[in-house]
Amino acid sequence: MDPSLRALTERRRAMLDRVRTMLIERLNLSLTSEEIDPDTPLFGSGLALDSIDAVDLVIHLETDFGIRIPTDQAGRAELRTVNSIVDLALAVPEGPPDEPA
Amino acid sequence: MNLRDGILAVRSSAAMSRLHHVHMVRIRGGGAFDAIDRIFTRDLYLRDGQMIHGLLLDEEARVFADCYLASDDQEFFLLGEGPDKHELLDYLRRHAAAFADVEILDAGEGHRLIGLDGPYAWELLARLVGQEVVGLPYLTFFFFEELLCCRAGKTGEFGYVIIAPEHTADDTWERLANAGGDLRVAEVTLDVLDHCALESWFFNVRAEGRRPVTPLELQLQWRISRRKEYVGSSSLQERRKSPVAQRLTCLVSDSPIQVDDVVRHGAAVVGQVVNAGFSPVRDDWVTLALLDTEYAYPGIADFRVGTEEIRARSVSPPVVNNRSLYVNPQVHSYATRHETDFPALRR
Repeated sequence: MDPSLRALTERRRAMLDRVRTMLIERLNLSLTSEEIDPDTPLFGSGLALDSIDAVDLVIHLETDFGIRIPTDQAGRAELRTVNSIVDLALAVPEGPPDEPA
Repeated sequence: MNLRDGILAVRSSAAMSRLHHVHMVRIRGGGAFDAIDRIFTRDLYLRDGQMIHGLLLDEEARVFADCYLASDDQEFFLLGEGPDKHELLDYLRRHAAAFADVEILDAGEGHRLIGLDGPYAWELLARLVGQEVVGLPYLTFFFFEELLCCRAGKTGEFGYVIIAPEHTADDTWERLANAGGDLRVAEVTLDVLDHCALESWFFNVRAEGRRPVTPLELQLQWRISRRKEYVGSSSLQERRKSPVAQRLTCLVSDSPIQVDDVVRHGAAVVGQVVNAGFSPVRDDWVTLALLDTEYAYPGIADFRVGTEEIRARSVSPPVVNNRSLYVNPQVHSYATRHETDFPALRR
C-alpha cells in the first residue's frame, strides 16, 4: 500500500475508533468497539438509537467533534451510519480550539 | 413497468409488490421459545406486537436466511427469505427437533404477502386500514380485520408487509391499487426491491448473502447475539479469534461494473464485487465488494474494477437521500409533496 493511501486509511481508522468510543461511552451502549461495524445504521435498525439518543448524540457530536447538526428531521437524516459520523468528523477543519468568550 | 420506473416509484411515491420470495412460518407450543432462542441469531427481547430483524445461520456461520421474527399471543411467526419454503421449514424442524412440544407450521399456506414501499406507502395503507398505521413504529405489527400489517421493508423508505388470507388477497390487492390512483402507485418486482436495498445498504440474502462469508464480513454484527448459543455461534466465536480478512464495502463508478469483477488497487488484487447495479436516481453504478480490510474504508478514489479496469471509489452507504426521512405522516401527504424541501436523491 502506498504511503498516501496508508495515511488516509490510518486517519480514517483513528477517527472511527474515536466515534465508536463516543457512541459506547456517551450513549451507554453495551457493546465493545469491535462489535460496532463501520457501516452499522444508527436509527431504526443497527444500533437502534431512539429519539432521546438522537438529542444526546447531536450534543456530543458538537462537544466532542465540533460537528454542528440541526436537531430537526433534516439534521437527523445526516446521521445514517457510524461511518456517516466519521465523514462529518473528518470534514471539520482542524485548528486551535475556540477561545472562551 | 421497467426497472427504472419501478425504482423511481419506490423513491418518490409508493409501490406495491407481491412478496412471493418471503415465506411465513409459525412456531408454537410449550417449547417454542427455547427452540427459536437456539436457532435465531438475536436475543429474544420481544413483546407482543414487536418484530426483530435477524438471521438464520448454518453451522459454518454463513447466512442461510434473512428473517423477521415476531411474537404473537404466546407463539412466534417468522418471515424468512433466501431459501425456498421447503428448505426453510426443513431447517427449522431439523434444529428444533431436540426440543419437546414445538410445532413448526407453514403459515404461508392459505396466505399471500403484499409489500408496500415508498415515502407515501403509509398514506396508501391508511386508505385501506385507517389512520392507525400513521403512528405505527418500525418493526411492529397490528391486525386489521383479517389482515396482518407489519411495518418493515428493506428499501430505506416507509415499508409494510401485509399478510392477507388467500380468499381476501386478490380483493386486498385491488383495493390498494384502486385506493392509490392519485398517489401514482406502481406495481414493482423483486428486481426493483433488490436494487433499492442495494442503494440503501440493506443486506440482500440473494446477492452478498450467497457468498461463503459470515456476518462479520457482511457488517451484520448488530444482527447477532454475543450472549447466547445458536446455530453457527461456535463458528463465529472461533472466527473472532483472528482479525476479519475482508469487509463488505460500497463503491460507486461512472462505468458499468459486474458481479464477480475483481477489484484492484495499484497492482494488488484487493477484493471482488458481490452486488452491483445501475442507479437511475444517482446516474452511476452502485456496487458492493468484499475488500481486504486494509482497503475497506470510504474515501479511496482509485480502485480499478474488472478486466476493463473501470475506475471506482469507495463511499459511505447509503448512497441515496431517502425521502421517507423527510416525510412526517402527521404533517405531510403526497398531495402536498411539492411543499417539502427534499434534498437531491443522490447522496
